[in-house]
Amino acid sequence: MLDNKISEIKNSFTADIKSVSSSKDIEDIRIKYFSRNGLIAQLFEKLKDASKEDKPELGKKLNLLRNDLTLQFDTVKDKIILSDTSKENIIDLTLPGNEFVIGSKHLLTQTLDEIKSIFKGLGFSVAGGPELESDYYNFESLNFPADHPARDMQDTFFISKDFLLRTHTTPVQIRLMEKQAPPVRAIMPGRVYRNEAVSARSYCMFHQVDGIYVDTDVTFAELKGTLISFAKQFYGANLKYRFRPSFFPFTEPSAEMDITCYLCHGKGCKICKNTGWLEILGCGMVDPNVFKYVNYDSEKYTGYAFGMGIERIALLKYGLTDIRIFFDNDLRFLKQF
Amino acid sequence: MKISLNWLKEYIDLSNISTDEIISHLTMSGLEVEDVVDQNKIYQKFIVGLVKETEKHPNADKLSVCKVFDGKNELQVICGAPNVQAGQKVVFAPIGTLIPNGDFEIKKAKIRGIESHGMICAEDELLLSDDHSGIMVLDEKNIVGEKISEVLNLNDVIFEIAITPNRPDALSHIGVARDLAAIFNRELKMPKIMLDEKGDNIAALASVEVEDIKNCPRYVAKVVTGVQIKESPLWLKKKLENIGLRPINNIVDITNFILHETGQPLHAFDLDRLNDKKIVVKSTKSETTFVTLDAKERKLPSNTLMICDSKKEVAIAGVMGGENSEITSSTKNILIESAYFNPSSIRKTSKSLGLSTDASYRFERGTDPNITKFAAERAAQLISELADGKVAKGMIDVYPEVILPKEIKLRFSRTSKILGYDIPSEKIKTILSRLGLALKVVDDDTLLVSVPTFRPDIEREIDLIEEIVRINGYDNIPTVTKINISLEEKSDETAFAEQLRQAATSLGFFEMINNPLQSEQQAKLSGNAIRIANPLSADMEYLRTSLLPGALITVAKNIRQGVKDLKLFEIGDVFNKNNDLEIKNFADFSEDQKMILVITGNNNLKSWNASETKSDFYHIKGYVDSFIKKISLDNVLIDSYYSSVNQIYAYHYTKSFKNLVIGIGGKVNSDVLKKFDIHQDVYCFEFDLTLIRLLEFKPKHYKEPLKYPKVVRDFAFIFDKSVRYLDVKNFIINKSSDLLKDVKVFDIFENEALGIDKKSIAFTLEFFDENRTLTEDEVEKDFSNLIMLISKEFNAKLRGN
Repeated sequence: MLDNKISEIKNSFTADIKSVSSSKDIEDIRIKYFSRNGLIAQLFEKLKDASKEDKPELGKKLNLLRNDLTLQFDTVKDKIILSDTSKENIIDLTLPGNEFVIGSKHLLTQTLDEIKSIFKGLGFSVAGGPELESDYYNFESLNFPADHPARDMQDTFFISKDFLLRTHTTPVQIRLMEKQAPPVRAIMPGRVYRNEAVSARSYCMFHQVDGIYVDTDVTFAELKGTLISFAKQFYGANLKYRFRPSFFPFTEPSAEMDITCYLCHGKGCKICKNTGWLEILGCGMVDPNVFKYVNYDSEKYTGYAFGMGIERIALLKYGLTDIRIFFDNDLRFLKQF
Repeated sequence: MKISLNWLKEYIDLSNISTDEIISHLTMSGLEVEDVVDQNKIYQKFIVGLVKETEKHPNADKLSVCKVFDGKNELQVICGAPNVQAGQKVVFAPIGTLIPNGDFEIKKAKIRGIESHGMICAEDELLLSDDHSGIMVLDEKNIVGEKISEVLNLNDVIFEIAITPNRPDALSHIGVARDLAAIFNRELKMPKIMLDEKGDNIAALASVEVEDIKNCPRYVAKVVTGVQIKESPLWLKKKLENIGLRPINNIVDITNFILHETGQPLHAFDLDRLNDKKIVVKSTKSETTFVTLDAKERKLPSNTLMICDSKKEVAIAGVMGGENSEITSSTKNILIESAYFNPSSIRKTSKSLGLSTDASYRFERGTDPNITKFAAERAAQLISELADGKVAKGMIDVYPEVILPKEIKLRFSRTSKILGYDIPSEKIKTILSRLGLALKVVDDDTLLVSVPTFRPDIEREIDLIEEIVRINGYDNIPTVTKINISLEEKSDETAFAEQLRQAATSLGFFEMINNPLQSEQQAKLSGNAIRIANPLSADMEYLRTSLLPGALITVAKNIRQGVKDLKLFEIGDVFNKNNDLEIKNFADFSEDQKMILVITGNNNLKSWNASETKSDFYHIKGYVDSFIKKISLDNVLIDSYYSSVNQIYAYHYTKSFKNLVIGIGGKVNSDVLKKFDIHQDVYCFEFDLTLIRLLEFKPKHYKEPLKYPKVVRDFAFIFDKSVRYLDVKNFIINKSSDLLKDVKVFDIFENEALGIDKKSIAFTLEFFDENRTLTEDEVEKDFSNLIMLISKEFNAKLRGN
């Protein structure tokens, strides 16, 4: 008997759903079939009276019916709503959305982030130190003797006889080695100052990243390999590079690392002063005199150190020509990166 | 430093090596060639021209219209020089020539209406001298059409080499040649001295006394009599001109020549102007003034090393000679000084005078005490040859303590340990020998190296290793392909600041980096500013004490560019004196890391469906709270509010942990804004990150979301206008049961209907218990009790109902 009822309802639903033309019709059908006292609910009500043996079979059939009709109903309902042309449902989808501003880190911070993440991947920690530094940390312990012309390499802002604005981040190497025994492997980013007239090429302050690695078997060959790996990750795998001898009081032997000029690709131009090469960093093996200051045994330990200017690297990478742009903080610049 | 390739070739055979090879090898062994002037290339197109006729330019008084014959054609050329005349042989630059000074190309041009097909050149245009008084007139024997490079012997290559401060030995042609000898494994040829001493015995002519032997360990003097002061021969003038020196007279030119040949600075005194023909080397006892040979009066501090005669000072030792004893056109007898001075003494003098000369530059880096004799003899020989002088017999050599070569042990095994690869020991020996070092084999692994005094930089084994590797070539160092990463603890001290930067940018803030060097007014706005002893300028004389002035400078700059809506942040160090004494140790000042947030203009983007909101105090306060939450410091910080104007803020508030103020901010007062030329409201907040870092951060723990429903109740009261929100809120929290978990304000307004000096504040109260569902009754009890208490405490009236 219930079976008959089922097919009856099925037929009448099919007829009703075919004649739907408005959302009012949809609502009528919903009430007639699916509401709390609708036809389907009434059938389920009758299930209570069925015998224990028939119940599972009938229940399954009813569920099937309900699912089938619901599916048909929903499909038609969606269509009706989509085609409903009542006014409140029309919006102009072409109008612009409400934009929100996401701020940004300074380009120099972003450049440093990239450098940091490369060196962290190579096993380096990240350390810091003060900008207002003592002569001892900035010069003396780094093997710059007093009254030595090497001090002329870095025009210094003095605060008093013994204090100054650090001219490089290298003093943090000493501070780190004072605190811990080898192995020491860290990079040291930070702000440095030079008493130089402000121009497109130089500014009275800028940023550096120094790095140091001291252990029992650190060699120049490892220094080369590590810095090449850094440069390739930072500038691209096809990079050409060279190391040439240079002088820093705190490393011996010392080197400067050049990469092919990004502008002329090595042919020679104004940016690279016709050499085809651009200097990107200074490096070398830690001078035994430096180890003396931190009581490391230079017969047992060797180490390498390096340092690079972040501004210079960012200028090269993003094609800027004037260092002052970094410190103008013009929003039209800041927003670009 | 300028080095001439032709000159170098006098000391080393460079045949079969191209100029490019020489340049790249010098650079790759530590003598960086920064610039190259190849005269063959530069002067390629210049030729000898004959001026056939000249006439005045019809439209310009100072110009002449010339006919110049270039050997084939007669060309019309406009010339502006006053000395141009028909019949002159001149340097002619045809169309297409690149003029070296100024890098411009000669093109066919109309000058004041008349065509010009080339240029007649002056010396400065050819980079031969600074002379621009007129065109350069050539000897009439020259053949028209010949290349100028042939005629003037301009076939040299000049290198500009950057010499690092550790290499005083390379500050001369012989020094550079010695490096090349090692690089190309060729022989270094020192010039031979052939001295014919025809004059009297030197002891009868002059005497030298060195009082300050510490600062003048060696003083060599030679005397040449009967000299004739005149122009130097062409070869000598050419040499000096090529490296950028102006020839003066034969004697001065010879001393300059020897300085650039050997690196040893010499000084020539007019012997007849020295009282008692005596030289005394001593330091000044008090401040003195002295006129140097450039006719400038200079103040000398006490303890300056001076060359004196028996009565007066005659030269600042190692820096510059005096006017009172310099060579003049009538000089007859000469004393040549070839001394070794203590580098740091000369550096002190040079620094205190602000005077750096070719001589002081070399002395302060360290000259060779043992080349002094060679240099003096070489000078004497050249003076006798080029100035017809008679060289006195013998020399004066005050050298009480002979400075000997250093002996250093070199282990091949150590070389390999530092470099990470083996250089064959034979190769090492060759390199060191070519660099002029003497070697003795001690055992299989060890050499005893004797380092001559011209290499003061080589003091230790590691210095020898550097010499070996730089000559052997850094390119030959293998590159490792893997590294060990030790498992010691890794840390990142920048991580906290990084977390804050992330939060700031996600809230729409842009990071600025401002110059910490500021004017006194800016730096002293809010602290005890530290002054720089040698500032670049008055507007960069002090270190910042706060990030606010820098932020305001940036705000002002952007507003001037038309960008008026700004949300900016900066993280950086600020500096304050801890007392009023000179800074002598780290306790005398503090350097703290701060972070500032600054907002001005509109807080949101204007759009077709949203109007703009002006940034205000509640925006900055909200941003600050977002930060505090991000670093898990919410609930532990206490706010204090200050509504009166102070020297920075119109009103402000602070955030403290216990008694420690870790942040301050508010609305910047209009006086301050005016100073920065800002005419719109600015709100800011500055965190002290150094202090915040000291606080203990509770590690984050998972908290289960609430399982039971919250009961939310609203009420609104009419208060006196003076009643503060926070007081009511705190009162509510105090007076209600533990079931109340949160109180929020959701509406505030004033209007006439409420009454004068009244306002309405509407609150939302949230009740819940983490372990059960609340009953309506218990919430109602709390709620109605609160209504009663608030009404009473604040004399407030419940609205609605």
